[in-house]
Amino acid sequence: MSGRRANGPAILFDRVDLTLGRTAILEQVSLAVAPGAVHAVVGPNGGGKSSLIRALLGQAPHRGTIRLDWPGDAPGTIAYVPQAVEFDRGLPLTVEDFLAVLCQRRPAFLGPDRRLGYGEALARVGMAGKGRRRFGALSGGERQRVLLAQALIPAPDLIVLDEPMTALDEAGVAIFETLLAELTAAGTTILWVEHDLAQVRRLATRVSGLNRRVLFDGPPPEMLSPDRVLGLFSAAPRSMAGALAS
Amino acid sequence: MSFETFRALIQGWAAAGWLPAGLTHGFLVNALLSGLVIGPVLGGLGTLVVTKRLAFFSEAVGHAALTGVAIGILVGEPYTGPYASLFGYCLLFALLVNYTRNRSNLTSDTLIGVFLSVSLALGASLLLVLASRVNIHILENVLFGSVLTVDDRDLTVLLAVALGVALPMLALFNRLLLASFNPALARVRSVPVKGLDYLFIVLVTVVTVASVKIIGAILVGALLVIPAAAARVVATSLRGFFLLSVAFASIAAVAGILLPVQFALPVPSGGAIILAAGLLFLGALLARLVMRGDEG
Repeated sequence: MSGRRANGPAILFDRVDLTLGRTAILEQVSLAVAPGAVHAVVGPNGGGKSSLIRALLGQAPHRGTIRLDWPGDAPGTIAYVPQAVEFDRGLPLTVEDFLAVLCQRRPAFLGPDRRLGYGEALARVGMAGKGRRRFGALSGGERQRVLLAQALIPAPDLIVLDEPMTALDEAGVAIFETLLAELTAAGTTILWVEHDLAQVRRLATRVSGLNRRVLFDGPPPEMLSPDRVLGLFSAAPRSMAGALAS
Repeated sequence: MSFETFRALIQGWAAAGWLPAGLTHGFLVNALLSGLVIGPVLGGLGTLVVTKRLAFFSEAVGHAALTGVAIGILVGEPYTGPYASLFGYCLLFALLVNYTRNRSNLTSDTLIGVFLSVSLALGASLLLVLASRVNIHILENVLFGSVLTVDDRDLTVLLAVALGVALPMLALFNRLLLASFNPALARVRSVPVKGLDYLFIVLVTVVTVASVKIIGAILVGALLVIPAAAARVVATSLRGFFLLSVAFASIAAVAGILLPVQFALPVPSGGAIILAAGLLFLGALLARLVMRGDEG
């Protein structure tokens, strides 16, 4: 990555606490995501990965500081790829309609604004020519690709991925890898919550292990050792931790 | 163009035989105009109601109009148009349901069921009290619609409401839809999810209240749901969904107003409009079955 100029921001989580009801979800989480990095966050279910994303996106009340340091004077574009979207599968909504709802101001029922590059974004995720297919009739993997495509419009400077590979098939995984390489080449900062440790080992430039607290943080080959991974996934479950805390 | 000029124009065309003879009557032109103004708005807004799974909610707001009317008459508003109480009560009802929905662990349908039952009980009790003070048959107009008594004041209200609802609906259509797909994704794209949630509630309430005189308190919610449901059955894209819903709602409104007059049917306008919408829904279902048969 040396010599490449990053357009994405640096992200600093400084002693972030997040509590839901009486349960501590995140405790004293401190993390630094470098500009242009592919920073993966791994951990067990319920370990606070998605909550960390929600806190970053300003959607979960938290204590502590989360700061985005943009390279220029003005903040850039943030994109988010959720795990899934909730909608009526029978809705008469084409893939292009879905993108239009997300990306344009002109009412989507008046048709997609071609200038925004929906076709190109779909082609980048291997969905070329499928813009007129009904969104609800797509397979889980295809829907996931469309969610990736929407994140490309407009071109993001920071992209937040919440387990984007869950439903992807083999071809989809290959496309995701290419996309990640293209975004990295463009200097985009990528914060990537993932459960597939093998993919993280291959694709991430840095990884943090999160189970309520940050248990490790560093380059994937060193951090994802069997001992560390075992420690991450065998840490006290939340119910036990809560009982101990109270 | 004033309503008077428009009426004279239509009546002239009807007298010349270019339009149905019934339209030589000014009150029928008023009725038709009101249907043409509010029908498309109900159809368009209905697509969002159906997509956001708020059909039961919009029905409940419509039923709350019954209590709003009773309160209006009780506090001395004219029974032909107790708009202040109607709007005030329906808005209070809708906002309260929405506020509680976001803060209780109940599912939406349970919560709306509770609020709707209590509201109807209140309305029924008030109407019983009112029965001794006004001719209760007058209330039939409020309950089931009385489009043939629409006057210039009602038309002005309808036109203002139609514009006041259609403009924000069109400007914020994508954002209103996106907020229901994935609130987190919507917020990343700078959509004020909670604010739009309340705005949508207000839009549904305003258009419901304005439509009570035409369709009646009992049935007003149906014109937000049935045309959109029919369009959803046959449409294959968002464009088709929206345009068909607008067309179905407009056709139902016009047919429900004109057909009873044309054929001297003793049917209230609200009932006729909803029956027409129901027929369109049935036709849409049949069309879908036929299309599926062709595919199979």
